[in-house]
Amino acid sequence: MNWEFIIKYLPLYQRAAILTVKIGVIGIVFAVLVGLVCAAVQYYKIPVARQITAVYIELSRNTPLLVQLFFLYYGFPKIGVRLSAEVCGVVGLAFLGGSYMAEAFRSGLEAVDDVQKESAFSLGLNSRQILGYVILPQALSTSVPALVANIIFLLKETSVFSAISLMDLMFTAKDLIGLYYKTTESLFLLVVFYLLILLPVSIVGTLLERRLRYAGFGD
Amino acid sequence: MPDLGIEVLFKGTNMLRLLQGLWVAMRISLISIAVSIPLGIIVGALMTVKNMAVKAVSKVYLEVIRIMPQLVLLFLVYFGTTRAMGINLSGELASIIVFVLWGTAEMGDLVRGALISIPKHQYESSQALGLTKSQTYLYIIIPQTLRRLLPLSINLITRMIKTTSLVLMIGVVEMLKVAQQIIEANRMSSPNAAFGVFLVVFVLYFLACWPISMLARYLEKKWS
Amino acid sequence: MKNLKKFLTLGLTAALTLALTACGQSAATSSAEGSQAAASSQASEAAEASAAEDTNAIYRTLDEIKESGTINIGVFSDKNPFGYVDENGEYQGYDVYFANRLAKNLGVEANFVSTEAANRIEYLQTGKVDVILANFTVTEERAQEVDFALPYMNVALGVVSRNDKVIDSLDNWNPDDSIIVISGTTAETYLTSNYPDIPLQKFDSYATAKEAFQNGTSVAWANDNTEVIAFSLQNEGYTVGIPSLGSADTIAPAVSKGNTTLLDWINEEIKTLGQENFFHADYEATLLDTYGSEYEDSLVVEGGETK
Repeated sequence: MNWEFIIKYLPLYQRAAILTVKIGVIGIVFAVLVGLVCAAVQYYKIPVARQITAVYIELSRNTPLLVQLFFLYYGFPKIGVRLSAEVCGVVGLAFLGGSYMAEAFRSGLEAVDDVQKESAFSLGLNSRQILGYVILPQALSTSVPALVANIIFLLKETSVFSAISLMDLMFTAKDLIGLYYKTTESLFLLVVFYLLILLPVSIVGTLLERRLRYAGFGD
Repeated sequence: MPDLGIEVLFKGTNMLRLLQGLWVAMRISLISIAVSIPLGIIVGALMTVKNMAVKAVSKVYLEVIRIMPQLVLLFLVYFGTTRAMGINLSGELASIIVFVLWGTAEMGDLVRGALISIPKHQYESSQALGLTKSQTYLYIIIPQTLRRLLPLSINLITRMIKTTSLVLMIGVVEMLKVAQQIIEANRMSSPNAAFGVFLVVFVLYFLACWPISMLARYLEKKWS
Repeated sequence: MKNLKKFLTLGLTAALTLALTACGQSAATSSAEGSQAAASSQASEAAEASAAEDTNAIYRTLDEIKESGTINIGVFSDKNPFGYVDENGEYQGYDVYFANRLAKNLGVEANFVSTEAANRIEYLQTGKVDVILANFTVTEERAQEVDFALPYMNVALGVVSRNDKVIDSLDNWNPDDSIIVISGTTAETYLTSNYPDIPLQKFDSYATAKEAFQNGTSVAWANDNTEVIAFSLQNEGYTVGIPSLGSADTIAPAVSKGNTTLLDWINEEIKTLGQENFFHADYEATLLDTYGSEYEDSLVVEGGETK
């Protein structure tokens, strides 16, 4: 292990890690928004929009992110839609993640028993209050494990961004291998940086999950 | 309507090659899943064992594998093993190893989840009915576990097929690489081929995964 | 329970770090062992041959290749007209034409392995291929990692840009513009050390780099001048504003460090093929359509002798 090399290229990995996290976080935020919209459309059974979301969810869940990105980044400019690699990364992550997030919210919403809504209604709460005080708190806390799993899944998926020329951790490692032939060191830094990003998320997720278990009602 | 370059797929054996590329991806995932299922059942069963050491080891294995992006694992195995152990792996073999490691971890977690989801009273009731331990497992526990497990493991197949798109990055010539080669060979005559060809790749992946997802959903509904 | 989780997390990090450090160390020692073993097995003949296999000799000797009946050759599959795959799935191009002849003269099948620029050294160092014939420019840094045979082509760097904004100099660079390079090429190394302020847009394959350049991702693409000239001739609307940049280099086959039997054989082949003007024939078969005859004399290196 050549430590000089590792120290010399540490800043490069740092920059790459920041890019990975930045695009990852923005993409995940959009994925959550897409997921919320889709879940709401399905929950309230809005006509037409419901069919469109159903098709979207199938497309998104049954194709790989890498293929989605290739199509978006290399294919779309041929029909005049030119997006920067960063934007493609965010759009790709939101497109892929949206359906997974929708699924998480849907299962949370479905887990809230009808009895709860009826009881709240008979207590004189209006529908906004029912949503805000009864349905959402329970639905969201049921969704948390799935949400955390999705966030980790999406952060891991960012590793394919290297294919659309984003200088993320993966590309930095590949590039350094190609430039200076230091495979062991480059791979070592790659693993360390991914652990630095993913391990805290995983730990916080586990803690949050445990904390929220108390929020469940009646178990 | 501008020329979208789908016609390049009808030249020579291009379409056939693209499908062969898909088959490479399918083959890697099918072999991996076939190996992962029995291994995953063993790992999953080990995780419910009371022995702390066994539990800890399997837990560490699961966490390590699941926290690393699959692409990183592919790189580590493909380039790392030769450097560390002097074993030379082909891209395809390296992919199968990574997918088996990953599939076993995922499968193990599913098995563990299914096993602990069987309520305790099922064991107790069968004991009360006078069933022996092996009878309890054979007639009560395993059938129930399988029903919970099957849809989830079918889902794992589609996840694997989708993840095989990554093997392009360690030099396996699969569908995406074939697509790139086709676009490259026709750059002069069809400069817009990237749109049409990548669209077809997108659709082919969808056609490969969608029926399997549907089957999983159908089984889930039927048995829930 | 909480403690267990903490313990596990700690253990996990420690284990991984340890494992990786160990990997690094054993890699260093094993490669040293490997070369020692190779040296000693040569000295002590056939009895040691099987021992060499056990002790990580990464490459295959000429005899081992002959015995196996196939030679693994790393080529590009997306660098038209040097190495690419045609519509029938056959590898074609200047490098491939040569590769096929080498395999034929050795009496074995050629098994083509598709490579990317950044992987070429790695493929040789890990024995994934026996020889790289992927337009591999000879440089001092690379020669420390692999062994180059005699050259078969001349090359320098070049920069291609669009007709409406031809770039003929890299000085006074507008920092908002980027240049496309392919990861692991000499163009990347050259620009990184000589023009560190020019933003580079890096791609990992020829296919993706060209696609992005055509899509207007960057104002220019820097690569081997042979390749950018081919690109400007094959595609309308592009001009090579900088036809020659950096030093005049050569392209040669490369084998794993220390694989002398294979290296010597390839060198002999290149010399012998020079007598029949093989590389001129190669040019005429694979490059004439793109370049015309204009570049034949400046591009081809015959018999391993540069002028």
